[in-house]
Amino acid sequence: MTDDEGLMLAIQAGDAKAYEAAIRKHLKSISHFAFRMLGNSKDTEDITQETFLRLWTHADSWQSDKASVSTWLHRITHNLCIDYLRKDKSSISSEYEDEHEGSDRPADAPEKTQQLEALRQALEGLPERQRTAIVLSHYQGFSNREVALIMDISVDALESILARARRSLKAQLKQ
Amino acid sequence: MNMTPERFAQLVEIHGSRPERWPADERMAAEAFRHANHQAQALGDEYARLESLLDALPVPAMQGLEQRVLRRAASLTRDSLLDRALDWLVPHSDRLLAWIWRPALVACLPLICGIYMANFFSFGITGQELAWEEELSLLALNDYAEIAE
Repeated sequence: MTDDEGLMLAIQAGDAKAYEAAIRKHLKSISHFAFRMLGNSKDTEDITQETFLRLWTHADSWQSDKASVSTWLHRITHNLCIDYLRKDKSSISSEYEDEHEGSDRPADAPEKTQQLEALRQALEGLPERQRTAIVLSHYQGFSNREVALIMDISVDALESILARARRSLKAQLKQ
Repeated sequence: MNMTPERFAQLVEIHGSRPERWPADERMAAEAFRHANHQAQALGDEYARLESLLDALPVPAMQGLEQRVLRRAASLTRDSLLDRALDWLVPHSDRLLAWIWRPALVACLPLICGIYMANFFSFGITGQELAWEEELSLLALNDYAEIAE
């Protein structure tokens, strides 16, 4: 039994300490995923809070033989993000830029800054499924099988989406 | 397995430029093809550059997010006053047992309180104090007496 499985069994039995430990363990990954999907910290926080709320209230629906805890949590986050994006597409991003500019990171060379900005826009401009596939595969480090599970599509469909997304990003960076 | 330019392009488009992400059964052939073929090398480099730019896109630090999530989690898992009182009276064993015994205990509490209060206070009734057994016995006799009349 993995650590995550142990935590989930404890959460299913109503163990608040295990719930807290699971939050600490998965918070960064879930909030980063939500941010890369939504592009602003306010909505990211709402989605993150809701994901962890469901970890407690829907713990009984997790089954160890179907998905890892991380995959299951990302699937919840993904569904929440999709609902959000379909309801309120106008509010995607914008804050990303502000926070990026205001961050303490050392300034990149102007050319690289330009490229990063172009890439950010290209990512935001990708169709929702292509962006999800890139974020889960590249940033979250899931295997194609896991990404397909999170997105509830076949591995073949996912691979087609990933190929289109990478081709599209590469083409837009060339422009 | 023979690697072709088309299959190599598919591999990097689907899995990216890092060989460790490529399918194990095609990895060696694909790496050899990349080293031997200039176009494959160039394509791999283009996707590697894309990936390094993706890596450079930061997620801003969200100050206090962990505390806020944990605070909400604590409010979610914190027991109500009644639960805490019941915890004190009947310590947790397991959930199923608690589900059965706690409502039963709650249902019994007014009865216990009523018996205790009736025993403790006279509620204005004066006279000779009777023992519990006597009171119960008289009540029972009274019922029979009513039927007999």
